[in-house]
Amino acid sequence: MFSNKKLLVVKTTLFIASTMLFVACGNGEAPKEDTAAKAVVTEDSTASNDVPETSYSLPSPLQIASIFKKSGMKYKADLTSQMKDPAKYSTNLSKALNLGVFSADLSYCVLNKQSQEAMRYMKLCRSLADNLGMGSVFDESNLSKRFEKNLGNEDSLAYIIAELQMVTDMYLDENDQQQITSIVFAGAWTESMYVGSKVYEKGKEKGLNTKLAEQMNILGSIVNALKAVEKKDAAIGGLIADMKSVKDIYDELPSVKNNPQGEDSDKPMSFTEDEIVKLTKKIDELRTKFINGL
Amino acid sequence: MKKILFAGLIASLVVTYGFTTIQSMDNCDKKALTEKCKKKLEDFKYDSQKFSKINFLERDQKLEVEVPVFVGEKYRMVFNTSYLPKNVVISVYTKSKDAKKREAIYSTKDAIDGIKEFVFDAPHVRNMYVDYDIPIDSSNPKLSGCVIFMIGYK
Repeated sequence: MFSNKKLLVVKTTLFIASTMLFVACGNGEAPKEDTAAKAVVTEDSTASNDVPETSYSLPSPLQIASIFKKSGMKYKADLTSQMKDPAKYSTNLSKALNLGVFSADLSYCVLNKQSQEAMRYMKLCRSLADNLGMGSVFDESNLSKRFEKNLGNEDSLAYIIAELQMVTDMYLDENDQQQITSIVFAGAWTESMYVGSKVYEKGKEKGLNTKLAEQMNILGSIVNALKAVEKKDAAIGGLIADMKSVKDIYDELPSVKNNPQGEDSDKPMSFTEDEIVKLTKKIDELRTKFINGL
Repeated sequence: MKKILFAGLIASLVVTYGFTTIQSMDNCDKKALTEKCKKKLEDFKYDSQKFSKINFLERDQKLEVEVPVFVGEKYRMVFNTSYLPKNVVISVYTKSKDAKKREAIYSTKDAIDGIKEFVFDAPHVRNMYVDYDIPIDSSNPKLSGCVIFMIGYK
């Protein structure tokens, strides 16, 4: 038999437990569509001013690789990041930037049927994601295992990477870490432009030149997306300055000044050789800074 | 031993309670919404998604999401408003809200009441801006919800 003291402990515990379960169960289920309205009253006292009027939705590294691939960009070995020790990256900024770099390299390798290299970058992405505390996304729907199982099947791998992007986006949103999304994309975009411009240097394909010019058009959105999350990490300010330094060069190019890619313009723009050299030099610098973890 | 068991029980309940509360803080089951939208993408490859928190205020509002796209790609946008307590008009433009003149290339303005999922296959454009026109609500100062859009390409 319980003593009075023990009985009191049991009763108190059961009361707390049942109260918690009642509250938890009440909130856990997704409301049905027609009853959602009744459920949506937040406890947020700052409801009047915590939503920005403009936000940004940046594309995925896979889409950029896909656009370059469609333009006829060939695979060139040794252009991708040769970093083998992701533990070298010590700050969250350098981890996220290089997760972007590896994601871009992963996409480039997958779309060019470089299975072993793709597997290597997948592991590097996993390692950095673990370091950022988000490695669990790779286990969602057995993504890592499915990737390994489908090596050699380019289409399936591309869909698996797209799914990985989706669960990563959701994870970061749920954990209020949208700044990571923007930083990762800044790294991925820089790496994609680096690889694209290096392949262009060797082959001078006109189609690739046009696609490089088109990619430059989204740099403004990247800068703005970073500015929108600047308060979340003091280091983002330096990254904004870095990305803006590329945009400043782009904005001053004669091809851009003479043919601004305004919202009404349907004419594809391309760069002169001098312009490509100028841009490539700056992108090289930035990419070196990122992969060296500076 | 019993004390340890009780402590364990309390701890696990606190964790469960805390997790569930965090998950429902903005009353938006993001995982369920993501799954619903993904199905509607069909053979379009996932590119990105954006959840927007909507707070209904005593004044009307316009929230905008800038979506850079690339000429030559085919895009599908999927919207889901299941977690909004009131109708919000969704429009897609090729120019930002700061432009002097612009016309929507898509709008849910005339959508049938009760429809919560919208699919838009975009024409070839260089930029897209998703606007949410949020009506006034003075009945409840804390009324809010969320809307998602997902974009896929091929």
